[in-house]
Amino acid sequence: MAQDRVLTGIVVDEETLTVDELAQACAVERRWVRARVEAGLLGTTVVGQVQEWRFASAELARARRLVALERDFDANEELAALVADLIEEVERLRAQLRGA
Amino acid sequence: MEYRDYYRDLGVERIASADEIRKAYRRLARKYHPDVSKEPDAEQRMREVNEAYAALSDPEKRAAYDQIGQARHAGEEFQPPPDWGAGFEFSGGEPQGMGAEEFSEFFSSLFGRAPRGARPAGGHRMRGSDHHARVMVDLADVYQGATRSISLRGARLDDDGRVVSEERVLEVAIPKGVTEGQHIRLTGQGGAGIGGAGAGDLYLEVRFSPDSRYRVEGRDVYQSVPVSPWEAALGAEIDVATPSGTVQVRVPAGSQTGRKLRLKGRGIPGNPAGALYLELRIVLPPANTEKARKLYETMAREMAFDPRAAGGG
Repeated sequence: MAQDRVLTGIVVDEETLTVDELAQACAVERRWVRARVEAGLLGTTVVGQVQEWRFASAELARARRLVALERDFDANEELAALVADLIEEVERLRAQLRGA
Repeated sequence: MEYRDYYRDLGVERIASADEIRKAYRRLARKYHPDVSKEPDAEQRMREVNEAYAALSDPEKRAAYDQIGQARHAGEEFQPPPDWGAGFEFSGGEPQGMGAEEFSEFFSSLFGRAPRGARPAGGHRMRGSDHHARVMVDLADVYQGATRSISLRGARLDDDGRVVSEERVLEVAIPKGVTEGQHIRLTGQGGAGIGGAGAGDLYLEVRFSPDSRYRVEGRDVYQSVPVSPWEAALGAEIDVATPSGTVQVRVPAGSQTGRKLRLKGRGIPGNPAGALYLELRIVLPPANTEKARKLYETMAREMAFDPRAAGGG
């Protein structure tokens, strides 16, 4: 099934994800996303009702990271979020170091 | 295909208990976690560890694996026996979960047999799973847009409802102005759906190839530019090779190392486009000839300059 034609995608930040799309992308249920947003662990900038929530690239990366941490280490959700915060901070610092 | 020794990948004995396997997995997951690991092959090892754990943590899969695994060695050529799968029924529609698209051909040929309901004629419908991969791009690519070829190992249902593993190559357009960490969503390029349901999507996370010339923050690009002492002191027009081509830049007289020249709109394109910051770095010519030494000596004698005095360098 090799393909020759060039595929054109959508940049997630231009068309952000709904709560169901985010859940699907992370292979979790909608209520997993909802619980973490309501606990302030994910999507801290979302506003309005659940149907209006939108998630950009950074939130997708964070959600996948949370899923993996919770699953791989049986981590509770606050601990997984704390680790994700630290990883994001390390990424920021590394980016500043790079090529400077 | 190659036989994979899952016990060796996790570093446990064949008689290891479920608890020992879980502990070994967690230890390795921490060691090779791609976000923190300093091991050069962390990503590859993490994939192997994930795959081994997916096989050995599930009692059904472990039993099946143990049956074929007697007296085999990792890397050995392996073909599943013709009647493979007849004696086992693996439960669950998508038991492998997230990341399974990266598992080896060996894994999918052993455990990828779709459950009964997954046969194309079955009544059960389920949308395919979303897949994830990374795509490496050069900074110059996002200034113009580019195409990148990426190869992915995918799984597909054959006519008998068995999952066969295959390598596929996708040509993907890298949109102009995309930045690091953004995801490109390719609709319908994820896992195949079941029972006529739609395929999942493929998300590509954009990463910039390491380039020591540039540092990127959001859409702003930082580039270090070497200048001579006289260019910095007297001012000059210099040519600088930037990601968007060579530009002529005016170095203001009296510049010091660290001075940033901001070129509006010459960062990563977008709305608004980022800026390009040229960070000046004064490079001293070596005093390795008689003439050069003389010039430095003349400066030392005739310029009253103490960089450690207040207001100096």
